[in-house]
Amino acid sequence: MALLQIFDPSSRPRAIGIDLGTTNSLVAYVTATGEPVAIRDCDDAVLVPSVVHYAASGATVVGDKAKALAVEHPSDTIVSVKRFMGRGAADPETRRLGPYRFATDTGPVVKFAVAGDRIVTPIEVSATILRELVDRAEDDLGAVGGAVITVPAYFDDAQRQATKDAARLAGIEVLRLLNEPTAAALAYGLESKKNGRYAVYDLGGGTFDVTILDLDDGVFQVRSTGGDSQLGGDDMDRVIAARVMDALGGASTPARVRYALDSARAIKHALTDATEVLSELAHDGAEASLTITREELDEAIRPLLERTGAASRRALRDAGTDAAQIDGVILVGGATRVPAVRAYVGALFGKEPLADIDPDLVVALGAAIQADLMAGSGARDDVLLLDVIPLSLGIESMGGVVERILPRNSSIPCEAGQVFTTYADQQTGFEIHVVQGERELAADCRSLARFTLKGIPPMAAGLARLEVRFRVDADGLLHVAARERTTGVEQQVDVKPSYGLTDDEIEAMLTAAYEHGEEDVVARTLAERRVEAERVIMATEKALREDGDLVGPDERARIDAAMAALRTAHAGADPRVLAVRIEALDETSHDFAGRRMDRSIKKALAGRDVGTIERDTEAARGIERAHEPLSRSGDVEEQG
Amino acid sequence: MSESPFDTLGLPARFELDLATLEARVRDLQRALHPDRHASGTPAERRASLSRAVSVNEAYRVLRDDLTRAAVLLGSASEPAADPEFLMEIMELREGLSDARTGASIERVRDLAAIVRSRSSAARASLATALDVDADPGRAAAALSKLRYYRRFLDEVEVAEEDALRASQG
Repeated sequence: MALLQIFDPSSRPRAIGIDLGTTNSLVAYVTATGEPVAIRDCDDAVLVPSVVHYAASGATVVGDKAKALAVEHPSDTIVSVKRFMGRGAADPETRRLGPYRFATDTGPVVKFAVAGDRIVTPIEVSATILRELVDRAEDDLGAVGGAVITVPAYFDDAQRQATKDAARLAGIEVLRLLNEPTAAALAYGLESKKNGRYAVYDLGGGTFDVTILDLDDGVFQVRSTGGDSQLGGDDMDRVIAARVMDALGGASTPARVRYALDSARAIKHALTDATEVLSELAHDGAEASLTITREELDEAIRPLLERTGAASRRALRDAGTDAAQIDGVILVGGATRVPAVRAYVGALFGKEPLADIDPDLVVALGAAIQADLMAGSGARDDVLLLDVIPLSLGIESMGGVVERILPRNSSIPCEAGQVFTTYADQQTGFEIHVVQGERELAADCRSLARFTLKGIPPMAAGLARLEVRFRVDADGLLHVAARERTTGVEQQVDVKPSYGLTDDEIEAMLTAAYEHGEEDVVARTLAERRVEAERVIMATEKALREDGDLVGPDERARIDAAMAALRTAHAGADPRVLAVRIEALDETSHDFAGRRMDRSIKKALAGRDVGTIERDTEAARGIERAHEPLSRSGDVEEQG
Repeated sequence: MSESPFDTLGLPARFELDLATLEARVRDLQRALHPDRHASGTPAERRASLSRAVSVNEAYRVLRDDLTRAAVLLGSASEPAADPEFLMEIMELREGLSDARTGASIERVRDLAAIVRSRSSAARASLATALDVDADPGRAAAALSKLRYYRRFLDEVEVAEEDALRASQG
């Protein structure tokens, strides 16, 4: 049978890990022997500069070649696009020192106007970088089957959603959005295998994250995370760039700004080893000599470091711990190479930080490990990441005050709800304003979405019962459902709007891409559904092999029939029939899946007698206690 | 959630709960349930895994916090009106905090926080005894209401401290 060939595991596409960085990006995978390795290009380079150049000819250039064009074409070459992800056009972050032209009158999303009369969003720019990385991986590995993409832990919902949209636009299946510090901890923890409490200090090009986590026999549990999504090595560059601009004098043109920023970065790098750097500056007729000492750099970046210190102290407090209880501090991100940063972190936590894994590679290596885990290689069955949301989620209530629904550092996936009521008689609609942040007033928090629940019959004030439920999935993405309890009027929202692209806009971009490209939409959809069908059949067969005793004879017959129908559809060429059959098999195996999950719970609790659970699982292991079954009252509400 | 968070995690319904025990239980359950564990499962399995992992985390979130754990144990017992003497106390503390904030005196803010922390731990002890030893919902509800006020006050202290730090850094 033809299907058997496709199921051959050795030919299965490989899952990859992608670090989509502010300055540089890279891709890694786990080898057959279980080693995470970064993929190199033909020049043996690992890092792809996160730079995209848009040529007047309509061509798009990515990476080193684009970087080389940045000085000559500063406005058509997008550098550090990550800083614009999920940002509004009016956002102060968008308005900082930079050489770009922004498109006007194009809605809330920030857009760049580039050569060839093109308007591009940060999502499209990021998608181009992602595509380049996947092409690289495909050159090396053949087929690529899904990716774990890392994001700063402190990214808010809009920034995460934008990243996921970029992947969708690039045609990549996202296995998981993974927080960068957690990815780094995974790479370190598996190397050292030492249980304990760790702090990850991640100062990248544009973002700062600090994460406190516990490693306990393969389980990485994040206790708290904090940071600043607008603070990084770029800010150090800006401080030096201002000196360069002053030294050169004259007008501030886009090309001059680009030159100053590039010179600044070079000076910063040189000051890692040298204590003083003399630069001969020359740009567009202006010339100057500039000497900067390491003391001056240290002095200039001191305020930035203080900000990382404040965020770190808060993360420690949120985790209910202090610096003395931290067993190890892990350094991540290129900016942690700056000697003043290392010294500051050492003093902050009172111990020498760990930097044995290259701080530029460690995140991608961790992402590759997670991708491998999720692809079910089975090699590291004991490893699990338990992460949290970085910022509180809530909705605006009376007087503009935020009613918090999920507090920051809640473990994900998670869900919580809150009941609200009407404040006016005959009110038939509720405006729901979803916000993220720690401030008391909604106006001071980040606005994620606004929507209106309509169709509520007129009632006296205070009678209606509006239940708003927030669910955050394992990618850290928020889904909101609102329901009026007395009437059952309901609305589901995937939080997108405020500064994101709508589903329709993304569909339109995808369709446009297909129209311009050679790809046939139907053929592509068919190929994707076939892969999905194969996966579902394989997973169902595995489930039946493992827990076949949980299925009654009638149910088994129904599942077998649904599988047979799906196999027939797989051999056919109609993507719609395939979708229907996949859905049907899913429906038939729904109850079975629930029973399997309950069995997992019982297994997990078997031998764990309440009250005598040892903290030291080493000691507890091997002791089989009488198994005490857990009672569950029916099925917990399922989504969808 | 249709069942008690204590049942979800298979833990005895008591106020005094060892955090390490709670966390170990959550880890054991997530090892089996977390969506990452079922990424290659059927869509139905992935949904079931997600919804159970959500329940476990929701139970964890409710039980790890003194206030929400106590509220679960008290059930729907209505909260008593705070007694006037206590309301006076809170008003005075708030006034003190507001003065300290306008005076940008971080020392004064910290002194107030220390006072409230010690009162808060006394209220917590009284809550624990009322729930676990005396089974006295009335006294427990009163203590819980005090704890809530203290918590809110300490949250404001945190904001005040951050503002003061920011101001001192210019």
